[in-house]
Amino acid sequence: MNGVPLAAYLALGMFMFATGVVGVIIRRNPIVIFMCIELMLNAVNLTFLSFARYQFNQAGAMDSQGAQQSMVAGQMMVIFVMAVAAAEVAVGLGIIMTIFRLRENVDIDEMNLLRG
Amino acid sequence: MKGDFGSIWLVLALPAIGFLIQAFFGAALAKTMGKRVVGALAVLPILIAFGIAVKITLDLSALDPANRSSVQTLFPWIDTAYLKMPFEFLVDPLSMTMVLIITGIGGLIHLYATGYMSEEKEYARFFSYLNLFIVAMLILVLGNNLGLLFMGWEGVGLCSYLLIGFWYKDRANAKAANKAFIVNRIGDWGLGLALFLLVAMMSNGHSALHAPRFLSYDVMLPALPRQLILHPAETSAIALLLFVGAAGKSAQFPLYLWLPDAMAGPTPVSALIHAATMVTSGVVLLNRMHVVFESSPVVSAIIAVIGCFTALFAAVIAFGQTDIKKVLAYSTVSQLGYMFIACGVGAYWAGMFHVVTHAFFKALLFLGAGAVIHAMSHNQDMRNYGKLSKYLPITTWTMVIAWLAIAAVAIPAGEMIYGLAGAYSKEAILGSAIAGNHALIDGFNVGVVTGWIGLGVALLTSVYMTRMMFLTFFGKQERWRAIPAGAHAEGEVSHSDVDEIVSHLDGPILDDPHPQEFVASGLPMRASTGEMLDADVDHGFYYEEMPAVAHDDHEHGLDASHTPHEVSVSMWFPLVLLAVLSLGGGYVLAKGDAFQHWLYPTALPVIGDVPHEVPNLSLYSAAAAFGGIILGIIFYGRGLPADQGWDESRWRPWRRSAERQFGFDSMATVNTLEGGGDLARGIWRFIDVGFIDGIVNGSGALAAWIGDLFKKAQTGYVRLYALIMLAGGVGLVGYIMYSSPPPAIRLQPAGHGLIGPGAPPQARQVQGAVDASAGTTPSAAPGGTQ
Repeated sequence: MNGVPLAAYLALGMFMFATGVVGVIIRRNPIVIFMCIELMLNAVNLTFLSFARYQFNQAGAMDSQGAQQSMVAGQMMVIFVMAVAAAEVAVGLGIIMTIFRLRENVDIDEMNLLRG
Repeated sequence: MKGDFGSIWLVLALPAIGFLIQAFFGAALAKTMGKRVVGALAVLPILIAFGIAVKITLDLSALDPANRSSVQTLFPWIDTAYLKMPFEFLVDPLSMTMVLIITGIGGLIHLYATGYMSEEKEYARFFSYLNLFIVAMLILVLGNNLGLLFMGWEGVGLCSYLLIGFWYKDRANAKAANKAFIVNRIGDWGLGLALFLLVAMMSNGHSALHAPRFLSYDVMLPALPRQLILHPAETSAIALLLFVGAAGKSAQFPLYLWLPDAMAGPTPVSALIHAATMVTSGVVLLNRMHVVFESSPVVSAIIAVIGCFTALFAAVIAFGQTDIKKVLAYSTVSQLGYMFIACGVGAYWAGMFHVVTHAFFKALLFLGAGAVIHAMSHNQDMRNYGKLSKYLPITTWTMVIAWLAIAAVAIPAGEMIYGLAGAYSKEAILGSAIAGNHALIDGFNVGVVTGWIGLGVALLTSVYMTRMMFLTFFGKQERWRAIPAGAHAEGEVSHSDVDEIVSHLDGPILDDPHPQEFVASGLPMRASTGEMLDADVDHGFYYEEMPAVAHDDHEHGLDASHTPHEVSVSMWFPLVLLAVLSLGGGYVLAKGDAFQHWLYPTALPVIGDVPHEVPNLSLYSAAAAFGGIILGIIFYGRGLPADQGWDESRWRPWRRSAERQFGFDSMATVNTLEGGGDLARGIWRFIDVGFIDGIVNGSGALAAWIGDLFKKAQTGYVRLYALIMLAGGVGLVGYIMYSSPPPAIRLQPAGHGLIGPGAPPQARQVQGAVDASAGTTPSAAPGGTQ
């Protein structure tokens, strides 16, 4: 974090997250929606990492071990999120493939079998 | 002394084992080893149990009269801190008397049944029920507390139901079984309430706190008189309710309705359950709980009056019956009435005495009737009989003994009386009723009235029994010869066919001037009386016992070509033994008041005190017996009188009326059924349909309505859901950020917020030091920095 302030990282994360949200809501292609979800997850990852690093820097002066722990905790969360994201994509793409084979169409607005 | 009667458990266990064998292996055994083995396995346990019971009874009678009572605990049953009801037996004269009857007569009837039911396919089922009945009846009489009595009580009721409906494929039999069970429920209701009241009354007492077994007879009966004096109102209620229970089981007047219908069962069942044992359990109950009735003269008087009315009523009805088993059924009801007279007037021993002698001769009568029915192709109508003494000599002469016994024939010779079994017990009852003064209403001794009426009923008994004997065994005509040959060539008429045919019989057939033809065509005899069939509650078509599966090919219907054959040895042997008992049993038991002293020796002096010496009573009752027989011979000696034949319109009105139980049965059953049906329908309509269904359907409809309301939210557009989720997320974050005070989630200064339980030791030390300093600050403050 040489010179780049925490706020900049957070701002970038926010921007990515907002992009993802808007993408999920307005797009009808499930592939793109998946990409947007990835975008949101990575925004969160970025935020985790930023805070971890930030805390490490702040605490390092007085208590190096505690600071290291807090950084590792943040990075661990990122690993988890990535693992979950990978699993989710695997399952989700499988579902989309199946739907495509059945209907030759993956427009998300036409997937409304559960309409009340 | 106690160990002497330890073998009593075997008396119960043997029939129980017999029941289990019959129930689980009987059918298989019948296939592989034959019915003979199954029959032997059913009879042997009862006979061995009888042997053990004889041994125990002899041991008991060898004891000093005051000590003839022993409690044998088998295992704990109901076992709590304040109430203990062990499964225990009371061996005393009353219980052993009944045990001897149940196993002895029961064993003979089992033996008879092996012959009687030999054509029955479901042989093992029959004997499993019969053995189970013996078990239940033994629990009833041997149990040392009212809980066990109640268990046996319900058990015999169940077996009675199962056996009445043994040929359940015949709808009439199933109906009769239901009727018996339902009418018995009324009695059981009374018994149950009486038991609850008794428990409530006894547990109020001081003694209950210290005696957890306070419901056992040996604890309860001595403590009872004191409680009864303290609670007069409860005493009357308990006495009355116990009587309701006894009246249900023992077929007393309003509740007798089930017993005649119970004749739908196989004849050995009628002999065992509905004559010798189960129906006398009401008398056993009255004997066992006699302390209660002694404290309540009014209820005793009610018992005597109802018993007397039952005896008279049933005796008159017996004149209107043409079915041989029905005659015997009403005669049983009538004799049970005598037993209740005895208990009502306080001569409990006389009631038990009549139980014993009645078991002898009534079992014999039923078994003899069974032999006749067996010989006559299961036709039960006496109008088809006549002159059977020619074909059934053993049956005839054993039946003659039973007939003389129930007619109470005796020759008084000075002090001594020489007579058959019934004479002694009946005279003891009448004597106690006339000479006693226990049954009082407002100081009026109703016992005397019941005694004299009872004497009149003895005359009637003797007449109708003579009627039965002469219509069946004597006379000049063999009346079944009038049935055209081959009338049954079509084979068995399944009952549903009969039902249907009968239900289509309207006026023409009933107005038929020659009902004989109709009868001869193999339809139930009852069809010739139109009225009964109109009622929805028919009284069954079991005039011909129709075992739905029993008829094999060799069994043909009754017609002119039929030649009755004497029954097999397994059937006539019990008849002969019972005949011996009917002949000499009364004399042996009555000699020197042996039975009275055996049953009630000295323990409870009140009991023995009812005087039963009436001058010339034995002359009167001998006159009644002989007079009845002579009258009977005058009326029926030449065979079936013309005014009692097939054409019931020629019957005298009173006899027609008697045949229909003076309308009491149809009134009671139809009215209760219809009234109960209307009530049930009303309740169903308002409570069930209106209320309960309303709640159930209403809650369902409510859920559906709410669902309709909310399902509009499910548009099926995934992007809309995502938008809603976004709104929710934004709303949640907004709430967290702007609510005041903010919720617990907030950013902590670095180095503190992330330190939890797993924090490194230094951090904990730092915090601990801070805490310690903070904690010590107040105490350190005085001598602190300031």
